Amino acid sequence: MYWVSVVTEAGIFAILALGLDVIWGWSGDFDLAFYGYLALGSYLTFVLTIGKPTPPVEYILGFHLPVLLSIVLAVVAVVGLAAVIGAIALRNLRDIYFAVTTLGAVSALYLLVENYTPLFDGYNGVYGLINPGQTALNLTYNGYRIVFLGIVLILLFLAYLLVQRLSRSPFGRMLRAVREDERAAAAYGRQVFWAKYRAYLFGAALAGLTGGLFAIFISAFNPSAWTPQELLVIYAAILVGGRGNPRGVILGVFVVYIGFIELTRYLPSPASRPDFAPAAREILIGLMIILMLRFRPEGIFRERPGLDRGLGPGAPTAPPVAVASAPASAPAADEGGAG
Amino acid sequence: MSSTLLEIENLTKSFGGVHAVRNCTFSVPEGQVTGLIGPNGAGKSTVVDLVSGFGTPDSGGVRFAGQPLIGKRPDVISRLGLIRTFQTPREWRQLTVMDNVLLARRRFASESLWRSITRARRIRREEEADRAAVRDILDRFQLAALKNELAVRLSGGQKRLLEFARMAAAEPRLIILDEPMGGVNPVLGARIGEAVREFAAEGRTVVVVEHNLPFIERTCHQVVVMDLGEVIAQGPFSGLRDNPRVVDAYLGMDQSHE
Repeated sequence: MYWVSVVTEAGIFAILALGLDVIWGWSGDFDLAFYGYLALGSYLTFVLTIGKPTPPVEYILGFHLPVLLSIVLAVVAVVGLAAVIGAIALRNLRDIYFAVTTLGAVSALYLLVENYTPLFDGYNGVYGLINPGQTALNLTYNGYRIVFLGIVLILLFLAYLLVQRLSRSPFGRMLRAVREDERAAAAYGRQVFWAKYRAYLFGAALAGLTGGLFAIFISAFNPSAWTPQELLVIYAAILVGGRGNPRGVILGVFVVYIGFIELTRYLPSPASRPDFAPAAREILIGLMIILMLRFRPEGIFRERPGLDRGLGPGAPTAPPVAVASAPASAPAADEGGAG
Repeated sequence: MSSTLLEIENLTKSFGGVHAVRNCTFSVPEGQVTGLIGPNGAGKSTVVDLVSGFGTPDSGGVRFAGQPLIGKRPDVISRLGLIRTFQTPREWRQLTVMDNVLLARRRFASESLWRSITRARRIRREEEADRAAVRDILDRFQLAALKNELAVRLSGGQKRLLEFARMAAAEPRLIILDEPMGGVNPVLGARIGEAVREFAAEGRTVVVVEHNLPFIERTCHQVVVMDLGEVIAQGPFSGLRDNPRVVDAYLGMDQSHE
């Protein structure tokens, strides 16, 4: 059962990383608010499903909605928050200025959630979403966890298909052009803000979905579950797997989560130093980022542009156009010289 | 003989205390090649930026095909049919040569996020025609063999050609070239001159900012001369040699010109 839970968690984070890669990998925006979207999605899934709070516990809403509907509503709310943050941060800010602004936004959200208890019960957080639908599906506890893993993997596969399709579409191409050179993209008619904004909302929607899955997965959520380090691990995973390549991103998450986080659990942890293993884990992840950046900055799978497999002009499939070959073979005039 | 496509009126822009452009007024006739020349710092590139929406003037106006352009965003101006280049080639580095030119075809409708998901196959089918057209264009600019290379790997000259291939693919009504001959060898220069004349032959209007006077003389129907932010002369190139202001400001310094 331990490995079921490890793979489920990695699967959830892989969906999250696919969303973040659209924003960072394709659009080029180093978003630090991203984990906040998972958190909001998770909180909302809780408060929409677990019913009224019993004092002294307090939180907003407290509905008893079906979990699927709750996740949909959570995604809508998360996209709404991203629409506000993105509208401010993406308009004129780029690179480090964008990163700092989003960091500010998520810090404000974090402090609000932590200190304003009527929202999501502050530091205690929300809990009580235990295997929703288990009785309806007539499953044992462990059986439910296995089915849930299956659902996560199916959703990951669907998310992969969706992102891969987008990646190869004109939308993905246009977004990468904006990333490579905004001014040239604008000179060729692209609305830079709107392009980045749409990518941002799409990524945030995946984060909201991930939040809902995460709520079911851990059945309790509080501020210690979404510290800033968590997001850096996702960034490390994208970097290792291959920024801009959906397959690489998924591989990266599994490498980082299973290879580093889970296997380091087997590191010897002396009783006198129980914090040795977690510290060693973070050092290893940091080391991995440095080594990747030094020796293979494009990641395990590099971003792969779609190749044009069509034959050139004059090929049997494409009838030659009369004007096409003439100028290329024309004799060179005497241009140039002074300049 | 031909109508005016671009009209620039009393354009003024200063950066701090520097008057980059002062009461700049000139017009560009449709279907012709207009050269914009002048010494470094004359304000030529600033005029290009102001016309294409990459800057806002302090005062003055720009009309393109009768429409006022001031206050419009660069992408909006581009969609009206005015495309400009930059002094250094701005290729999309991590995209292939093919993708760079395909993007210049500007099929905005297929770039919708929603349609990219729901109509993927149909969009791909529609793109085939564009790809075939782009292959022809790449062939014209000696880039056909490089179509699947990342643009970042091209040489400086090839990047210039890519710029022209994109322009040819975009089929704009007005093309503004900002120093297209910078760092270009004579053979490539010949190809670029030819490309400009091809654009004109297709009925496009071209404005070219350039220091290479033989190139200007051969390619341009008329020339606008700027100095210290002002237009000091406008007319056919042949008339400029007799204009003392132009000789003082610019031509006098040019060794290659008899």
